[in-house]
Amino acid sequence: MKRLVPTAEMTLGPFFPREFGQDANDLRSVEGKAAQGEPIEITGRVVQLDGKPLGNVILEIWQADSKGRFDNPDFLGWGRAATDANGVFLFKTIKPGACEGRAPHVNFLVLYSGLMRQLQTVMFFDAADDPVLHAVQPASLRERLIAGKEGNRYRFDIRLRGEGETPFFDD
Amino acid sequence: MSIVIGRRAPRTQSRGVEPGYAQTAQRWPAQPLQRRSLTASELSAPGNLLRRLPPLRGDLAGYGEKRAIGQLIHLRARVVDEDGVPVAGALVEVWHCNAAGKYIHANDSHDAPADPNFYGAARMVAGDSGLVELRTVKPGAYPVPDSGGWWRPPHVHFSGWGRVWLARLVTQMFFPGEPLNDADAILNAVPDPQARQRCIARLVPGENVLAYEYQIVVRGRKATPGMP
Repeated sequence: MKRLVPTAEMTLGPFFPREFGQDANDLRSVEGKAAQGEPIEITGRVVQLDGKPLGNVILEIWQADSKGRFDNPDFLGWGRAATDANGVFLFKTIKPGACEGRAPHVNFLVLYSGLMRQLQTVMFFDAADDPVLHAVQPASLRERLIAGKEGNRYRFDIRLRGEGETPFFDD
Repeated sequence: MSIVIGRRAPRTQSRGVEPGYAQTAQRWPAQPLQRRSLTASELSAPGNLLRRLPPLRGDLAGYGEKRAIGQLIHLRARVVDEDGVPVAGALVEVWHCNAAGKYIHANDSHDAPADPNFYGAARMVAGDSGLVELRTVKPGAYPVPDSGGWWRPPHVHFSGWGRVWLARLVTQMFFPGEPLNDADAILNAVPDPQARQRCIARLVPGENVLAYEYQIVVRGRKATPGMP
């Protein structure tokens, strides 16, 4: 069979409809049904090379449920948030469990004006033994993928470019 | 169904930093992107995204007194994977400016009129053949602020989902025969001319409808049995 080539990615641009970015950042329930597990919040700030915080950045996440499953009908492990004028995003979710061969983690995708392709990164909860975290080279960059913890709130800042740049993945 | 994601052919995608598009140099990572082995986490996806993102509008053109100003068109976009197999039930988001080149958005400072009968955003679900159809008006061109005369050609933004997390696709569809296509920093960020051509819709004039057909290929193909 002839293989088709995936369509070229292009930037989200500055005019992503506001309504698309709203009301999808709470993963704790789906269709009114509450998910099992430890409720947490994930927040962070997205900045560019000159340190300026970026508003209306679209972040999407994908994660396992509290038991490490990706196919739980009562937990939709997908969410979307937009950063506010200060560059800050917020997700309300359930702490994911470990799944086969992987430590607990949350997949992040960043879409924005000036990003010609989506950026993929991963948030971890601690310096865990995980093949994706260990794939990051040099090893000194790995700590940038580990969230800070304040109570039930995890902090995961994303620097697109420059000093302290977040490691991103190309698959 | 087990899905395989292969590496991208570099010439079919933007390199990230584009000379004609100043913001890319502020935002695209300076460090090389990291390589990883894929696991179930990247090769799975939510069963039903509609539970979080409900369909919104299926017609942007309107009727009668509520009809949007501009050339009425029908967009027919088909979502397929790398095997050419339709992604039935794929969610597709579409947004574009009005016929005068104005978005309904706080970020749009362009001096062009809003159209009270046009709001350019829709979210649709592909049928069994992977097809979404949208009745709308053809978007106009508009200048990019502080760019020294870069005008965006008429284009339609698409956001779609494939069968796995890594199949997510955000792109733009262009119209054939537009002079501004040749100088657009976004369309021409794709080095391969054939890959660029695939971003341009095909005009299909019908009896009473000016249709544009467009194919979105999301990443992913079926795993071949016996192959790793």
